[in-house]
Amino acid sequence: MIVRRFGVRHSRQLLALSRRSPISSRFLSTEAPITTQAEATVESTNPLHEVVQATQNPKSLAQKQFRKEEQQRNKFNKLGSSVTESHDPEGILRNPPRPSDITLELLLAAGTHLGHSTSRWNPQNSRYIFGIREGVHIISLDVTAAYLRRAAKVVEEVAARGGIILFAGTRKGQKRSIVRAAELAGGYHIFERWIPGSLTNGQQILGHCETKVVNALDEELPEFKADLADRSSIKPDLVVCLNPLENVVLLHECGLNNVPTIGIIDTDADPTRVTYPIPANDDSLRGTNLIAGILGRAGEAGQKRRLEMAREGRTLYKPITATELRLDPFTGQTAQTAGGEQAKEQSAPQTKRE
Amino acid sequence: MARPTSNGLVQAMQSLRLHSPLPQRSCLSSLRHHSRTYATETETQAQPDSTPDMPVQAAPEIDFSTNFIRSPARIIPASPSYFSGNPRFVDHVLNLESLQARYASLPILPAGDAPRMAWFKLKQFREYVGEQVPVKKYKSLIKILQRLNRIQPDMIPGEVRSVLDSFLRPGNPYAIKHAPPEVDENGKARAKGKRKESTAVVQLVEGEGEIIVNGKSLVEAFPRVHDRESALWALRSTQRMDKYNAWVTVRGGGVTGQTEAVTLAIARALMVHEPGLKPVLRRAGVITVDARRVERKKPGHVKARKMPAWVKR
Repeated sequence: MIVRRFGVRHSRQLLALSRRSPISSRFLSTEAPITTQAEATVESTNPLHEVVQATQNPKSLAQKQFRKEEQQRNKFNKLGSSVTESHDPEGILRNPPRPSDITLELLLAAGTHLGHSTSRWNPQNSRYIFGIREGVHIISLDVTAAYLRRAAKVVEEVAARGGIILFAGTRKGQKRSIVRAAELAGGYHIFERWIPGSLTNGQQILGHCETKVVNALDEELPEFKADLADRSSIKPDLVVCLNPLENVVLLHECGLNNVPTIGIIDTDADPTRVTYPIPANDDSLRGTNLIAGILGRAGEAGQKRRLEMAREGRTLYKPITATELRLDPFTGQTAQTAGGEQAKEQSAPQTKRE
Repeated sequence: MARPTSNGLVQAMQSLRLHSPLPQRSCLSSLRHHSRTYATETETQAQPDSTPDMPVQAAPEIDFSTNFIRSPARIIPASPSYFSGNPRFVDHVLNLESLQARYASLPILPAGDAPRMAWFKLKQFREYVGEQVPVKKYKSLIKILQRLNRIQPDMIPGEVRSVLDSFLRPGNPYAIKHAPPEVDENGKARAKGKRKESTAVVQLVEGEGEIIVNGKSLVEAFPRVHDRESALWALRSTQRMDKYNAWVTVRGGGVTGQTEAVTLAIARALMVHEPGLKPVLRRAGVITVDARRVERKKPGHVKARKMPAWVKR
């Protein structure tokens, strides 16, 4: 019995006890027991902060329980050894690397060099292949890095010119990285099935989806809302596809509509399907997350540049004019109802130009 | 085995590398630049491009001081999920998933204990979203809502609460509490019962055991003894035969259905007078609703399940 009591003070469980038994507290310190103030609350960026704050003066049993667990977690998170240089799967989604951070080590760590079994190869990819190891083609990473940088540059420049960038990744698990990349690049995402005909038959499939007119600073201009009726659906200016193998229809439609495409080309994929191939492993989520993140960051830089220029009153692209907006999309003539004299005035310089 | 020897393939690869116009040159030179400045490179490229072939200057046409903010520049989709075909639905799902991830660590109730919520039915949901949402996707969204609803009710964040409320049908049907039936000022207890196609309404008052069914006496209404026994089984099993008068209206169905509808109605009315009898009536089996109805006939069958006899040729 005595021995057990003695052992108590060494155990980690002792710290977990919310109410310390008098005997253990005597062992823990040499000072006289005094009543302490409640622990100071730490300001944090945790989304649960509101909830934690609400439970500061807990009312119900559940709130008390939650607060107790939270306190224990705070206490124990500091214990133990600190692990460094570990892989954080969330990190690549939360804070993806920039195109300038591309290194061969980064690509190697993400497993982008692993191709497919040699029997499944597409010989058109031979220029991207470094060699064979254990019956599997190895993609040469310096090529991957170069092509990835080129693709990042394309994304950045399209974004800087106000282009519409569509990120497509329809495999299981690619959803979060696609949404994150689109969020960063101010682009658009598709993580479920591409509806065939969204480009070639856009009016039928995307006709009901909402569009808006924005100024160069990306602020919506509601006064042009009426002019958007009867307009053809919007087509992307660049498509980034993480799994070209499954999205043949998407890439074909892009080809028909002269939309440039960027795609991750594994050793079994056809590199001629996309405009800007990135030879890399498209089966590892870590690899695709990395590439999507890098392209998202590139788009972010482009958008930032575009908005900075717009604040100075410049654009790299030719903005749509109010007159063009007011033209009837079918006849190409000025609509009777819209504009009036203002439209005529604005259309005058345009006719001169032509 | 048709597998190529690794040596031969490597050699082929090397010869390809040597003789093909390789991207490696550019890659190597680009690698040499340690800090890459995308912005300046494209700036210098872009300006000579735009000047010679297009005499149009976008800049002078726009009046920066006044009109630049108000002049349109681009037509863009309103939602980042424009190309999915149902952008509003996808935006809802993404929003709910982000909420679920953010508040995943909050304590939750066991699956059955969460407060029952009247979410939008599929049709209402389609109207609310304004898109043709497939059943499967609707179900997956409801699943997320159910999970968010399982967070401890006193710890649920305001943000989650407001989002959940936006998916509720107007007027919560589960909040309506029916008032327990009571004996009215004339001492009457009124109750309904159903069985098969029959519906019975019973008005039960304290009395000497007189029963009137559709204006007739019990014997006239139910000539068979067995029917009379079962109609009054609630009173018989509790020994209340001579303590109550009942005025019964029963419509629809056949004799058995009518009899057992009356049984149920009398048992319910008796419970209004004497709630303490409930366990006894339960054991007597008179307050258990028999929800069975006639099964419909199916095409290819003779009756509901009977198949036509097999005929050779």
